[in-house]
Amino acid sequence: MTKSRDSNTLQLSRRRFLGTTAAGVAAAALPAIPALAQSKDLVVGNWGGDWNDRVVRAFEKPLLEDKGYKIVRELSQAPERKTKLVAEKRLPRGTLDIAHLTDADAYEMDQQEVLEKLDTSKMPNFKHVRENLRSPYFMPWVYGGVVILYNPKKISEPPTSFADLWNPKYAGRVGVIDQIYFNYIYLAALAAGGTLKDVKPGLEKLKQLKVDSKPRIYPAHQQLAAAFASEEIWISANYTARALQWENDGLPVKLAHPKEGAIAITFGVGIPRKARNKDAAYAYLDAMLDPGVMAEMAKVTYYAPAVDNASLTPELSKRIDFTPEQVSKLHFVDYPYAAKNSAAWLEWWNKEFKSA
Amino acid sequence: MTSFVALSHGGRSSDTARAAPLLTAAVLLVIVFLFLPLAIMFRFSLNKFVPGQFMVEALVLENYQKFISDEFYRGVLYTTIRVALVSTILSLIFGFPLAYMIARARSARTKNILILLVVIPLLMGNAVRTAGWMVLLGDRGVVNMLLQMVSLTTEPIKILYTETAVLIGIVAVLLPYMIITLYSIIEGIDRVYEEAASSLGARPSEVMRLVIVPMAMPGVYVGSAICFILAMNAYATPVLIGGPEFHMMGPKVYEQITKVSNWPFGSALAFVLTAVTAVLTILSSITVQRRYGRM
Repeated sequence: MTKSRDSNTLQLSRRRFLGTTAAGVAAAALPAIPALAQSKDLVVGNWGGDWNDRVVRAFEKPLLEDKGYKIVRELSQAPERKTKLVAEKRLPRGTLDIAHLTDADAYEMDQQEVLEKLDTSKMPNFKHVRENLRSPYFMPWVYGGVVILYNPKKISEPPTSFADLWNPKYAGRVGVIDQIYFNYIYLAALAAGGTLKDVKPGLEKLKQLKVDSKPRIYPAHQQLAAAFASEEIWISANYTARALQWENDGLPVKLAHPKEGAIAITFGVGIPRKARNKDAAYAYLDAMLDPGVMAEMAKVTYYAPAVDNASLTPELSKRIDFTPEQVSKLHFVDYPYAAKNSAAWLEWWNKEFKSA
Repeated sequence: MTSFVALSHGGRSSDTARAAPLLTAAVLLVIVFLFLPLAIMFRFSLNKFVPGQFMVEALVLENYQKFISDEFYRGVLYTTIRVALVSTILSLIFGFPLAYMIARARSARTKNILILLVVIPLLMGNAVRTAGWMVLLGDRGVVNMLLQMVSLTTEPIKILYTETAVLIGIVAVLLPYMIITLYSIIEGIDRVYEEAASSLGARPSEVMRLVIVPMAMPGVYVGSAICFILAMNAYATPVLIGGPEFHMMGPKVYEQITKVSNWPFGSALAFVLTAVTAVLTILSSITVQRRYGRM
């Protein structure tokens, strides 16, 4: 009896031992399990609001989430995202797998050495990306340009040049947006006959606008749209996509391409060097370039696709695409020059323009 | 730390022994999550900002020199101090009668309802509340619509994006803090003092001036200090209803750090703001204590 009980005990404890060992092995293997599941997990840093809603509807949901990808979104303005990328530089692993950025943001981030050099062999769709928008660390997605916006009811003759903002007829009816101050510095430089590589003539010209036209300064796009709607302002400069969107929403706004050429802006993505799941990140990038996604994005955002094979309807293409002549006149930001001067420009804008 | 507890409360050693471990967690939290980040930020403020290269390790005072020598940033600090002072005084003026009314309410039910009404705005986010002010104060907002409806004006008056609008917004944020602080002190002042003063022939205004206000001074001081500190560091209100041409320190710190990635100068601005707030609060504490004795 005693013996058998003993052997029972022994058996039990052996079983328990085996069980414990098995559990231990399973526990040791545990980190491997989430790693496997992680292969379809992505953390995407993007702008919030309408923009993100459209990206989800036109792209992330149908092409990725419906196919088993699990996307966690971190929505913020670009400066927060950039600050985060830089702050995480010293950590072993970062939080974002994908960072939505503009071309200028991406340059700055590359200077900070936080973006991965893109391996285009992992993105079969990359060959369709327009040559002039490519860069080693940034995948362009959609682009637009800063053009003139005007109220056709008040301004019957469409403006033809950025210099029309200085027209005394429109004094008091000119609107600018604080958030995109640098664009006004650029367009003033172009209006003064300068380039984006040297904005000095623009600064003088802008000061003159402040004195002569008393432009109204709005914090962000929404307030400018409201000012167009109430006819508080008749003319401004902003992105093509905003103009088309507002026109579509029934605001009294039309866009006019300036003879100087538009100031280009490209939106796209970069993969942080410290990304946790780079394979999924490349899958995300390649899916972004899908011709169908591109057409849908163009339709809902009014930005022109950065690829040459988007399946746009001829009508949509006419509305949002740039003509070859407009493309050839596009001004691209001189990134090193901008990065060196942006802090000084913001100061100038605060002190000399806004406070004057 | 142990001796500090013993000194400040004059407690027996057994109390001290019990208090020490309880305090450890809080002290550690403060050290790790407040002093350490502050120290890192102070270190950043001594670094150099090289455009295009972000932050470069250095040990220089140029960020502070830039602040002191630049009229624009000094002006931003003056505006901040002015707005904080004025909004604190306004909160005190509007808050005191309300706090007194609540403290002296006859039934407990009325008192509870009044306190709830004061606290409700705190349940709302600051940004949400500010958005409400934007709807009210805009050129085509409710206030301007009403003014035009009763034919007081024909053209909209500019209220939004002015210092007045910022003051209105900040006072609305501060009032609950002021009222709750004052209320708790006035509540503790026995009614017999007022009755005694009245029976000796003091008019209600004299009772208020000579009895209630001096006795409520600790509340006035604490409430004002809380409000002043909050107003000095205001962010959402100056940005959203001050508009692009109105500058206060909080938004400038944010602007330097996120818009142009100038962490060294942003950190220096943050430090100037913290230091000025601390110095002004401590100075006023000393002045008030001299005048009204230790609290």
